[in-house]
Amino acid sequence: MNYHFGRGKSRLTPYLLLLPGIAFYFIISLGPSLATSIFSLTDTTGLKGATINWIGLDNYKEFLFMGQASKDNFDALGRTLIFSVFVTTIQFLFGLVTAVILNNPKIRARNFFRTLFFMPVILGAVIQGLIWSLFLFPLGGPMAKLFEFFGLRSEFLGGSPTEAFIWVIIIQIWANMGITMMIFLSGLQTIPSEMYEAAEMDGANNWQVFKNVTWPLLTPSVNTNLLLNIIGSLQAWQLFLVLIGYRNGTQVLGYLIYAVGFGQTSGSVTSSFRQGYAAAASMVLFVLVLVIGLSVQTFLRRREERIMG
Amino acid sequence: MFKKIYKVITILMVFAIFLAACAPKETAPSTSDGSSSEPVAAEKVTLRVLVHQNPPMVEFMEAFNKSFSDKYPNVTIDMSVVNANDLSTVTQTRLTANDIDVIDIFGFANGAQPYMKLVDKPNWQQLIEAGLLMDISDQAFVKNYDQPTIDDAGSFNGKVYAVNLGRVSYSGIYYNKDLFAANNVTVPTTWDELVTACETFTAAGTPCMTAGGKDGWPIFVGAYGLTGAIYPDQAALVEGLWTGTIKWNDAKALDMWEKMKVYAQNMMEPGASGVAGDAAPGRFASGAVAMFPGGTWYASAIEAAEPAFDWGYIPFPGSDNADDNKYLFGKYDQGWAIAANTPNKEVALNYLAEFSTPENYQAFANAVGFIPTQPSATLDTKIGAEVAPYLENFRVGYEQYWIAPKGSGQFANPWASYFKPFGTYDDAKELADKVQADLQSGLDAVK
Repeated sequence: MNYHFGRGKSRLTPYLLLLPGIAFYFIISLGPSLATSIFSLTDTTGLKGATINWIGLDNYKEFLFMGQASKDNFDALGRTLIFSVFVTTIQFLFGLVTAVILNNPKIRARNFFRTLFFMPVILGAVIQGLIWSLFLFPLGGPMAKLFEFFGLRSEFLGGSPTEAFIWVIIIQIWANMGITMMIFLSGLQTIPSEMYEAAEMDGANNWQVFKNVTWPLLTPSVNTNLLLNIIGSLQAWQLFLVLIGYRNGTQVLGYLIYAVGFGQTSGSVTSSFRQGYAAAASMVLFVLVLVIGLSVQTFLRRREERIMG
Repeated sequence: MFKKIYKVITILMVFAIFLAACAPKETAPSTSDGSSSEPVAAEKVTLRVLVHQNPPMVEFMEAFNKSFSDKYPNVTIDMSVVNANDLSTVTQTRLTANDIDVIDIFGFANGAQPYMKLVDKPNWQQLIEAGLLMDISDQAFVKNYDQPTIDDAGSFNGKVYAVNLGRVSYSGIYYNKDLFAANNVTVPTTWDELVTACETFTAAGTPCMTAGGKDGWPIFVGAYGLTGAIYPDQAALVEGLWTGTIKWNDAKALDMWEKMKVYAQNMMEPGASGVAGDAAPGRFASGAVAMFPGGTWYASAIEAAEPAFDWGYIPFPGSDNADDNKYLFGKYDQGWAIAANTPNKEVALNYLAEFSTPENYQAFANAVGFIPTQPSATLDTKIGAEVAPYLENFRVGYEQYWIAPKGSGQFANPWASYFKPFGTYDDAKELADKVQADLQSGLDAVK
């Protein structure tokens, strides 16, 4: 048998080549994940030199069952799901529509528009937050002026928690739609032009072309985008930190974990470092992402097999 | 054969480089007592200092750092400035990474009291018990600070870990003297007078108050004076809440919530939630609003924004009885501590010693407007003169004592920002019941 890496000990070569990558994966990803699951059973503060006590499931009991705080945690969990559903759906649709439009060679300056829509992605959460804080400045900012024109006024990010939450959904979509669009664009460009020509010769209209040619052949891009959007939105927290801070009625699970784990405070109020508790909350989020991610992935894989064969 | 050997060696080298990259940095050799060996005097040292964002303080520290480096040319100061909300997070991560030498730490507060159950240790205590803060009890510069400050704001188990640089009041209101005169409004000493004053300004087209609501806390901290006027003994308030003798929905508390509603909805200017914390003093100094509920630490920023601007500072008149409105509530603000594992121990100690000289400290107090914690320092500032009549009525405020029982809901605080337009509540009774229910849930959970 002709084996590329030869015979005997030479067969070890591919494994040795893989070793740095595997080691990197263990150190950067799997190791911390395993450590988090272990720390969730302790009262660790995350401080070097601090005593760590094994407390079993106490963190989980507190997070899931202790008083009104646990109900607030479930509210945050619900808010996380709502955030994910809205962000995933809207970002997916906008990304798809934008990609289809900007894939049309008849559109002038389409490279300019592609760049324009992708630009927010490269800015990072802090800059994105700053831009929108200025845009939504309630004392004479552009959006305040627009509201004023219609006889309305709002505190935007600092007002009603529901309104602030809606703004973060909008900003999250604005910030990440460029990636969705680019994945769809790359998918669209892999569809052979002959398919469109054949459909045209068969007399198909635009909707029929999209439904019977574009949509089925975009399946790999659809799957990638859906999974990325779902997981990304379930884990989102940076924009909440930058735009709103720690405010009742707006926290999602990701931000709650950050605030608890790192003792984030309001002003000079002293809080505690509770990384064991935050680790337990992280495990809850992990289970949520795992269950949703695996379910969606299974569904998408079956769909792909059905369509692509 | 050579080709194979070459291939294996190449792989091992790549792996070795990877492992070397992951290895910890070489650290300075340690002595037997755990402290690092010190650089010789002429050796170049970069001292890493962490402070929280407070414009006059940052400005002073930049000038102080320059003079320190001029005096000790081998020392470069690398000062990081972070938002107050993020100070504990950055302190935790940088101390754990041994990436900081001198840290800004708020006065030690929120310690567990005998009547509290199942509460976590405050973060400063966690830092000390993890061995991350240096014991500075024997340092000569510590004696420059008054003993109550050393005991209350920087000591734990008989050892000193921080020197606190000043007390601040957060329960007062700045007022624009020119606007008051122009509108024939007298300085309010009772709640009714404050309401009338605000109605007068609003009718004249001038918003009554502003606050740096973008940072979140300035809206509700601005009303801490209101809570203080109704509950002057704030330590007793905290104990009463824990033991159930005081409830957030009893008649007295309901009076507070009704007033907080007026504060949030009628006194605070619309749009205040978008004003950044460090922009609010400038907005007040520009004459855009008549009053500015806030801490004494804002005084320098107001003066810097408009040096000729004429302002005054009064305790928040939250009670209908003027005698109840003579208290100022506050806290110990910024202090200095040193990382226990700093490789620059001598330089860090020298930095604090230099800062703590009476001359430098007085300049600092003048620049920042803190109520001094060195007995030799004087209140030379305008804010010093404004608060002087109330200093004997200075009290440590509620938030410095309060620790929420585990299991309490997120509304278990006396915060005016729960009211619309900053929050969701419009009815004082409904909010009072919610706050008490959230607190009671925690009290029941820790029984």
